Amino acid sequence: MAAPEETTSRTRRTTEIVILVVGIVAFLVVSAAKKQPADAPDDWWVRRLGVIIAAGLTLIMYSFLYRDNPLFKVAENLFVGVALGYGAIITWRESLRPEIVDPLFVDPPHFHAFLMEFARRIVPILLGALLLMRLSRRLSWLSRYPITLMVGWGAGIGIPITVHTYILQQLQASVAPLTAAATAAPVGQAPGFWGVTLPVLGSIVILAGTVSVLFYFFFSVEHTGAGGTVSRLGIWFLMISFGASFGYTVMGRVSLLIGRVEFLLKDWLPWGM
Amino acid sequence: MGTPEAQATLRRLAVARRVIYVLVAVAVLVPFVYPLPFRFRPSPWSEKVFKKVEALKPGSPILFSFDFDPSAMAELYPMSLALLRHCLQRDLHPIVMTHWQSGVGITKQIIEEAAKERGKQSGKDYVFLGFRAGGSNLVLNMGESLQGAFAKDFFKQPTEGMPALEGVRSLKDIPLVIDIAAGTAIEMWIAYGRDRFGFDLGAGCTAVIAPDLYPFLQSGQLVGVLGGLRGAADYEMLMKRPGSATKGMQAQSLTHVLIILLIVGANVHYLSRRLKGSTKG
Amino acid sequence: MWYKLTLPLVICFGVGVLAFVQEFVPHPWSAAFREEMTTWFRIMGGFGLFIGAYSLLHLHVTRIRRQQAGWGYSAFVFLGAALTIGAGVFEEVRAAVADVPAGAFSLFDWLYNYVQVPCQATIFSILAFFMASAAFRAFRARNVEAALLLAAALVVMFGRVPISEEVGRCLGSWDLFPKAADVLMEYPNMAAKRGIMLGISLGAISQSLRVLFGIERSYLGGGG
Repeated sequence: MAAPEETTSRTRRTTEIVILVVGIVAFLVVSAAKKQPADAPDDWWVRRLGVIIAAGLTLIMYSFLYRDNPLFKVAENLFVGVALGYGAIITWRESLRPEIVDPLFVDPPHFHAFLMEFARRIVPILLGALLLMRLSRRLSWLSRYPITLMVGWGAGIGIPITVHTYILQQLQASVAPLTAAATAAPVGQAPGFWGVTLPVLGSIVILAGTVSVLFYFFFSVEHTGAGGTVSRLGIWFLMISFGASFGYTVMGRVSLLIGRVEFLLKDWLPWGM
Repeated sequence: MGTPEAQATLRRLAVARRVIYVLVAVAVLVPFVYPLPFRFRPSPWSEKVFKKVEALKPGSPILFSFDFDPSAMAELYPMSLALLRHCLQRDLHPIVMTHWQSGVGITKQIIEEAAKERGKQSGKDYVFLGFRAGGSNLVLNMGESLQGAFAKDFFKQPTEGMPALEGVRSLKDIPLVIDIAAGTAIEMWIAYGRDRFGFDLGAGCTAVIAPDLYPFLQSGQLVGVLGGLRGAADYEMLMKRPGSATKGMQAQSLTHVLIILLIVGANVHYLSRRLKGSTKG
Repeated sequence: MWYKLTLPLVICFGVGVLAFVQEFVPHPWSAAFREEMTTWFRIMGGFGLFIGAYSLLHLHVTRIRRQQAGWGYSAFVFLGAALTIGAGVFEEVRAAVADVPAGAFSLFDWLYNYVQVPCQATIFSILAFFMASAAFRAFRARNVEAALLLAAALVVMFGRVPISEEVGRCLGSWDLFPKAADVLMEYPNMAAKRGIMLGISLGAISQSLRVLFGIERSYLGGGG
């Protein structure tokens, strides 16, 4: 006599299989119901097949919400393979061929032009080939040369750029509204008390927030007393910022869902909404 | 296996989870079946991007960097399409490129869809440069020589002497660059592009990264930003051509209200239990 | 051995200093040097993209060879990759030997549009459901900080959708809620983001200096 859990599990599996079969039949019926329009282009059937497959893959992906299942895993791995293949071909087409093959073997009108291009490109081509040595356990040390070149360049050029863009410009923007409010008035219009006060208050809030958040992350000093108060203020600003980010993240994810639903309703369904 | 109570709790949680999924699905579906009448006005930062494009004279070049892939398509495709339509309507010369190899196909689709509507030709009215590896190094290259960075466009036409690139030798010759991004490309364009070569930089981005851009808006390093599907809907509104983004905002409204109600309801329940617990002593 | 470790670190330092210095040198030679180096890195970057593809394939080959759990699914990775690469190579060869008319069918583009695009778009859209469920189950105002986070999230979520303007109209001011969201984003949110950005930048500069001086070596990887 089967244990009760085993019976429940078998019943659930049978129900799931029945639902799956009914779902597949319904999907095929709905997909086939869309008629070819009178003014359809020649490749309408190819596109329609693509839309059906896309809709099928979309619904299979959403089956994950019920639970992980073999169909989802097949679709997921198929997608990974296609993405990999697409990336490889695009890298060849858009990066390696126009940077190496065309300039060396297609475009040069004569041998001298080929030599000029070759001289210009041989070093990065060799370095790129050395980069691929990363995949070899024995020769991976060779890949350190191109990597240190790229990392060193990035680190060196990054320092002045970071200082200018992320520090100086940002600090200037934090202080500028206060100095502007103190010195200038809109041409031909008196700003009035609130016209001056509100921007100044806003700038003080921004300065206070920036300083307190920076202080919160400064762990070399104990956060007690006045420092503790500033640190607490920083936490409050951070919480408001994280809440705002959460709100926007919800908005972003819901938008993605809306996009897929629109595809299913507009492109896949026979009556296209 | 756990105690019967634990198993019952897990089953209740699983049911609650699926009920929420169904509610979210319904909230998204309903506005497509019964259109809702919620009106809205474009946000100030979206308007700033629109006005910058409007201020360009016909025939001016404008660079677009579509740095996203299918995972962000729902938010950024309508936005990109609206921007390109605006540019082609004003007879600007869009120069379109991407830093994401997985975004090449979508970028090509967007520019071809917008161009077909107005009968614009590649090479003459717009140019699709395609993808190149390099990231910030590519931006630095483009700042010195655009034709050096992209000797040929996506359709293998030489960029040297191309009518759509007339007067453009580098990023310094482009008055406005708009980066539509799902990742950190906007900050890269600010640091390696705008702050160096002096062009105006606008942005379109997924809602997830929009809050991170406010410091750049306040400092003037960005002229404006279109944030998420709302940004796309704002631009459609400003173009007076409502499209999928405007329709999508109705579903967005309903779903947000649902999630707000779920959160508020759960917190009311939590706080009332806490109060009951504290009054019991 | 000096050429395996010391020489790369010397190269890193040398190139880093040159990159730093050229930013402040207005001479045309400096600009030419920068253009040459960035062209080199663009070309090298193309090779680097293949490493990721190889690593992924290697992972699945290992899974199949060792018959690890779920190894059968890895066959679909190879199926998808083979189909796409095959289609891409076929089109390259076709374009090289004959004139392909505009609008001709492309299996490569078809696989991208009808397999990669829907799968990639859908996988990320599933997060909407998970967010709603997680917010309902875990988002609680347990203390002042959590309450602040919650309040900010609610203000932004409501203020950014059209229904808030309709509700505002009923209350006498259509931009009541959008304005509240704007103020929250442009003042406290912006201040916090700026503080985080400054902190990260200082950390990035410190890390760059550590890399240049050879203190930070993790990017070198293994291999002696």
